[in-house]
Amino acid sequence: MLKTIIKREILEYLKSAKFLVGLLIAIVLTAASTSLNVQDHATRHQDYLDAKKEFKSNGFVIVLFREPQILSAFARGKDRDVGSRTEMSVMNAPGPLTGYMGDEPGRSPAFAGFSAVDLAFIIRVILSLMAVFLAYTSVSEEKANGTLKLALSNAVPRDKLLLGKLLSGLAAVVGPLAVVVLLSSAILVLHPGVSLSADDLVRIFLMFVVSVLYLSIFYALGLFVSVKTDRPAVSLMILLQAWVFLVVIYPNLSVILSERIAPLPSEEVLARQKDAVSERHIADIKKANEGIHQVSPTREDRLRFNDAWSAEAADFDQVEGEFSRRQTAQMRLADGLSALSPAALYDQIMGRLARTDIREYDRFMEDAHRLWLKHIERARLRYRDEDAYKRTSLPDFSQPSESAGESAASVWPQVIILVLCGLVFFALAYTGFLRKDLR
Amino acid sequence: MKTIIRREFLEHAQSLQFMVLLVLSLALFAGNGLIFVESYGVHMDSYQKNLAFMNSWKSTVRLELFRLPNSLVFVAEGGDNKRPSEYYLLPGGQVTAGSPNLRAFKLPPVPPLDWSFIIGVLFSLYAILLGYSSISGEREQGTLRLVLSNSLGRAKLLAAKYISILLVLLVPLLAGALLSLTIIAGFLPQLLTLANVSRAGLVFIIALAYISLFALLSLLFSALIPRSALVLLVLLAIWVVFSVIIPSSSVIIGEKLAAAPREIQTARMFEPMVDKEISAKIEEIVKRGERGGFKTEEDMRAAADRAFEEGQVKVNQFYGDFRRAQRQRLEAVRDLSRLSPAALFQYAAEGVVRSGPGGEDQFLQQVGDYSRVYDAYILKKLGKVVPASNFSFGESVTFNGKKISLDSPEPREYEGDKSDFPVFSERQASIGAGLKSALGDLLGLVLWNIILAGLAFSAFLRTDVR
Repeated sequence: MLKTIIKREILEYLKSAKFLVGLLIAIVLTAASTSLNVQDHATRHQDYLDAKKEFKSNGFVIVLFREPQILSAFARGKDRDVGSRTEMSVMNAPGPLTGYMGDEPGRSPAFAGFSAVDLAFIIRVILSLMAVFLAYTSVSEEKANGTLKLALSNAVPRDKLLLGKLLSGLAAVVGPLAVVVLLSSAILVLHPGVSLSADDLVRIFLMFVVSVLYLSIFYALGLFVSVKTDRPAVSLMILLQAWVFLVVIYPNLSVILSERIAPLPSEEVLARQKDAVSERHIADIKKANEGIHQVSPTREDRLRFNDAWSAEAADFDQVEGEFSRRQTAQMRLADGLSALSPAALYDQIMGRLARTDIREYDRFMEDAHRLWLKHIERARLRYRDEDAYKRTSLPDFSQPSESAGESAASVWPQVIILVLCGLVFFALAYTGFLRKDLR
Repeated sequence: MKTIIRREFLEHAQSLQFMVLLVLSLALFAGNGLIFVESYGVHMDSYQKNLAFMNSWKSTVRLELFRLPNSLVFVAEGGDNKRPSEYYLLPGGQVTAGSPNLRAFKLPPVPPLDWSFIIGVLFSLYAILLGYSSISGEREQGTLRLVLSNSLGRAKLLAAKYISILLVLLVPLLAGALLSLTIIAGFLPQLLTLANVSRAGLVFIIALAYISLFALLSLLFSALIPRSALVLLVLLAIWVVFSVIIPSSSVIIGEKLAAAPREIQTARMFEPMVDKEISAKIEEIVKRGERGGFKTEEDMRAAADRAFEEGQVKVNQFYGDFRRAQRQRLEAVRDLSRLSPAALFQYAAEGVVRSGPGGEDQFLQQVGDYSRVYDAYILKKLGKVVPASNFSFGESVTFNGKKISLDSPEPREYEGDKSDFPVFSERQASIGAGLKSALGDLLGLVLWNIILAGLAFSAFLRTDVR
């Protein structure tokens, strides 16, 4: 029985214009955007390799480059916008990432607020809309046409009919999803400049699973509204407005709210804190500078110079670090506040799975800091025990690694909320349908 | 015709979508006003402090210039919140921007809650939701036949439907915009100048042209396609393409099309350029000096100064080219996105309120004008303008057995009376200038309207009303 219902519904979906239009748009956009994004990644990766080779660190300044993430071709996140290079010395802690020319990223905001198209975007916007379009008629149209009455006059229990509709709808949504994910993966794999690891493949699979969860929420929501209304036009109207609110407006509001609830210290406050640091160290630095500018500075003079400047750099770094932590806290608050929007949750999960979110940036900076502390320690050694200094070398910097399992484990709360959202909407649709007046 | 407009208006005004739009519009415009009041206060505070500093800092070595916060960013923010507010001017006309505002770089990238977002996204969608069934719905119900059996021309009926959609959208738009302006006027009455209100009014008119385009689009497809559900589907697909897909795709396609060199290509050219333009020339002077090619140390220093100065000019040119290339890439992205009326509307609004890259260009233009006055002042006081860049160079050389160091010439500070120091003050562009920069985009919107009106009219004339 269930099979018959599912088969009939799926056939109906496959014949519909909305399915074909949605599928076509999704395929064209996926092919175009993934090709461009993969090419973009390959170029950035080549730039990264060239930079590592060509711009070497010297004994004084250490330059680090951030490797672009391969899965940014699927979910660009912040990968392209946070910068690719940082430098550090005894006198300076690693600063925020910049471009290869030392420019801060985002100097020319192109189209305020619009992010570029990627697979995550296509699923978040286009396929979720398609899910809504497929779902809105599922019950209300049958009610309006009178076929619902007919169908239920047979020996079909209501729950089975609804379950059949849900499963068939999900199949109709998951089909195009599978097509676009496979298409993207094929483009990625076939690109000569790209090689995927097993871990990346697991990540792509996890992205697919999360996308299924995300789209099922919209389908279940559509089913619920379709159960609750008697006219398809009304259900579509309600659903579209809910979609605009959940996907476009609500994530925006949560960012605005987080900026107000957890404001960052002003530039003036930051400048004052930094002035206080300079003030604290000015005497030591002056003394150290005098020592080093002597005709033949001693080892103690050099050590004092090293220590005075690195102590000031460490204090500056504390001010910057505190600011950065508050930025992260603000971002977490925005993420938390936007948890009511499946679109925002989906973005967070995809960013983590693709390792293109701010957490990845923070991890990179934390590792850069650890290296900086070692560098300072080693620089001190140079003036205290030169032989020991010569015997050691600064460890090579490698980008922090994280397995797909670890990434997935870090987003379980968001995944659970997505699952719960889907279940709640389906439960509401289910109880609504059982009580529905079919006349 | 009046009767039809009234009837249609009432019908729309009773609909669910109208009520939701009204509530959303009031809430979002109120939020827009409140957020602006808060952030403008912070920006203005810091600008006032910086201005006092700027006017007291009379230096012939380096000047810090600050941009006046735009009092109309609530209409179209145009990325201004991320742009630097501080610029440095060096003798010789070299201008460098301070750091962009990256305080919010960790937050999810969401569009700013300005008028251009609220109207560009929300009102265009509701123009569709209110208009999609105008003709197809009536045809499905059979009322279209009835209406047209009266002595009423099709053109008039279409015009009446068009006007009623516009009027019904005008209510939440006007209510929202007035609420936003009232909040701003309540907290910041000094901003309620004739110039500001006229600019906001101008954006309001452009908004009407933009919304009208979607109303016409709805009528066109409502006349072409007999089934309302399909009309809505097609219109929503177009809305997604216009509001989301074209602007977002143009970011990646535009960057690809622009022939700007990548950052690393420029970065790797930097050192060879400095070697060729400065180090090689200085090395030659050093060798010549050691060979006894200069009569005096002063001759050698003068030759090195010349080489350094020419080198600084080349470095500045190099950076100028890099910035221009970046700017061209930005323009390529923006030009491509102009395929979408949503982008046309946003850029027209930015043009009128002088935000966005155009606003920054205007500021830099004024800085360029001022730099000539500044250089003339330095020339008058010090007798020479040393073109400076953000880089300095130094070389050590043995001349006549004596070790001397050749350093790049640095601009000198004038120590005398600076009471006649020219002060930089930013001028607000006239409304005419704003309108001029928005004209192209506005014409684009008008053109869309004319084409769609023509198409909607001819489609409706051919519609089979049976």
